[in-house]
Amino acid sequence: MEFHDGAEPKLWELQTLEGHNDRVWSVSWNPVTGSSGVPLVFASCSGDKTVRVWEQDGATLSWTCKEVLEETHTRTVRSCAWSPCGKMLATASFDATSAVWKYVGGDYECVATLEGHENEVKSVSWNASGSLLATCGRDKSVWIWESLPGNEFECVSVLQGHKQDVKMVRWHPNMDVLFSCSYDNTVKIWAEDGDDDWHCVQTLTEDNNGHSSTVWALAFNAEGDKMVTCSDDLTIKIWETDVKQMLSGGGYAPWNHVCTLSGYHDRTIFSVHWSSDGFIATGAADDAIRLFAEGSNGLDDGASLKMVMRKDKAHEMDVNSVQWSPGESRILASASDDGTIKLWKLEN
Amino acid sequence: MNTRSMGDLFPEPDPFDPALNLEETHIKEGYNDGYSDGLVTGREEGRLVGLKDGFEKGEELGFYRGCVDVWNSVIRVDPSHFSTRVQKSVKAMDSLLQTYPVMDPENEQIQDILNDLRLKFRAICGSIGVKLEYEGYPGGGGGDTKDFSF
Repeated sequence: MEFHDGAEPKLWELQTLEGHNDRVWSVSWNPVTGSSGVPLVFASCSGDKTVRVWEQDGATLSWTCKEVLEETHTRTVRSCAWSPCGKMLATASFDATSAVWKYVGGDYECVATLEGHENEVKSVSWNASGSLLATCGRDKSVWIWESLPGNEFECVSVLQGHKQDVKMVRWHPNMDVLFSCSYDNTVKIWAEDGDDDWHCVQTLTEDNNGHSSTVWALAFNAEGDKMVTCSDDLTIKIWETDVKQMLSGGGYAPWNHVCTLSGYHDRTIFSVHWSSDGFIATGAADDAIRLFAEGSNGLDDGASLKMVMRKDKAHEMDVNSVQWSPGESRILASASDDGTIKLWKLEN
Repeated sequence: MNTRSMGDLFPEPDPFDPALNLEETHIKEGYNDGYSDGLVTGREEGRLVGLKDGFEKGEELGFYRGCVDVWNSVIRVDPSHFSTRVQKSVKAMDSLLQTYPVMDPENEQIQDILNDLRLKFRAICGSIGVKLEYEGYPGGGGGDTKDFSF
């Protein structure tokens, strides 16, 4: 067991949030909260067809549910994502639609419904500027929508290429380059070749050090030059790109495998997230949360990423989602099949 | 003494030939029967497959033609009703429909054109917020709902 800076990091359990009536699939932090006196806010979505918005009390630091967004989706809500400006929340549902909500006059209102997927929508993601929204689903396609004035959304492109269910889409934190991962074991990278012409510019396959089973999630480091992917093959993989080439080339530069971390998980890894200060959190089917960080282990072997903490039985059942809070509070939210959300504090 | 075949000693048709070649004769006969039978059933099957596939493709292309015609009418009547992007896609669909090689079913490009048409159609419908389909539409609208999914 390696140690980070000599002391083993700890995850303190702050609070367990109940309220959803079914498994909680995903959490998303509102990116403009958690600093300058604005209390932290996040949204959670569930098999109970609702989305809940939670807020931390500035004084007591405890969390309460501020709002339940219901009676819109007719099936499980699988994923949710706040826009970069923090004013809109997008939700993706098994009912084949995605909805966009806005906080208007003290209430969350569904201001747009995006239809087009043939069946369950699995994930939704905003680009860095909030001008584009991506969705993906079991119909193997990835859709890109443009956000227009008046809560209008227009379909820019329908991208086909994955051979199976697409589990997650994520925009790059700085560039308008889209990443998707799938039940077909690959990660695909999509870029625009001028005027709405999006296509797949790279596929990270098993043959090129890629995963050998379903890739469930991906996340970027703060700088945007590294990416971590997690899979049913029990490994997490780190990938990197040449930032200079990315910036000079106008967005896309090839991604290359850096290392594979295996032997740390013995069940499927469903979620992975990279904090701004370099901690990679994973949520897995063995109900545990693990943290990885770069640290010297005294050996000159190049792969300097090590597991620094493991929280067994973080939940009663599968951990579906782990997400670091924005700002500097070092809070981690986790969501589980057990119907609860837990808030953890990282102490180093 | 050199061994020589009967055929060398008796150059005229060997009376034993048919008996010796019985198996080969039967094989040839069977092949010929099968071939002519196959010709008939194969042609009939091909005709039915062609009718089915031709009908399905024709139905799909006709459906798109109808949609594009309606959308073009809208654009003529109220040019501001659809966004530039939607209008561009409608135009693109129109030209794809015109280039589709209806009389050349073996054309390699057919699948690509069809895929392109389908994607553009779905994108336009998504943008203008309509759900258009017909019974038998390939990959038709979410019919395969599952009770569970992950």
